Amino acid sequence: MNSDDPNQLGRTSAAFGWAAVVAVLFNSALTCAKDAFKPLNSLMASLTGHHWTTHGLAAIAVFFGLGLLLSKLVPAGKVPSGHLAGILTGAVIVAGLGLVGWFFLF
Amino acid sequence: MNVTFKDILLFTHAGFGVLAILAALWVFKDALDASEANAARTRKAAFFVTLLMCVSWICGGYWYVHFYPGDKAMILKGPWPFAHTLFMETKEHLFFIPLILSFYLPILTREKLFSNATARKMTLCVAMLIVLSGLAIEGAGSVIGYGVRVALLHPETKVIHQ
Repeated sequence: MNSDDPNQLGRTSAAFGWAAVVAVLFNSALTCAKDAFKPLNSLMASLTGHHWTTHGLAAIAVFFGLGLLLSKLVPAGKVPSGHLAGILTGAVIVAGLGLVGWFFLF
Repeated sequence: MNVTFKDILLFTHAGFGVLAILAALWVFKDALDASEANAARTRKAAFFVTLLMCVSWICGGYWYVHFYPGDKAMILKGPWPFAHTLFMETKEHLFFIPLILSFYLPILTREKLFSNATARKMTLCVAMLIVLSGLAIEGAGSVIGYGVRVALLHPETKVIHQ
């Protein structure tokens, strides 16, 4: 679990770190997609009773699904993590400002 | 006094959100100060972030799905429609970002933060992102609440409410 290299994250932490990057960007992309394409919104609403519930479950599923997949499939030491903190911070800023910009403009 | 289930849910959502932010700040402080002695405490604090954020998610989600449509209709008829069209729309989706990060934090704090500079830096980033996005969401919540308030004082929505 832990990395012996002090400059690297352990395999699980790195795998779920990349999964978090993808999940936060996926969250914003799905928001824009369902807002722009009403049939998608209706489909999501029909799955759980409300589009927001489906949306949240999908974002969490992407995070855990991708994290588990990467941590199981990618060999130890092969999940890069050197710049992951900066990449995750950038992804959160892009995803957050993307949401604000989308609802401000449209 | 007339405190409804709806009120309890709303304040539980906001209150547990604030507690999750404070717990994330605790993780940030412990990661800054990482040592073998505080490693177990940091893991516990990270677990609390997840737990508190989940309670906030479930309570806020139930409130949003079952009780918000009435407030939304009032906001849209009132003088601050942007409290819904911009603030609520953004908040309801932005919430998933600190939620995802709060699930990640306990995974990250299983690393030896006191000896692994990369893990410590990552923990600091994730904890601070939870704090900042959480504060933005709390702020948006107050604008939405004010949107309802000004709508209730507005002549047109006053009629709807009565």
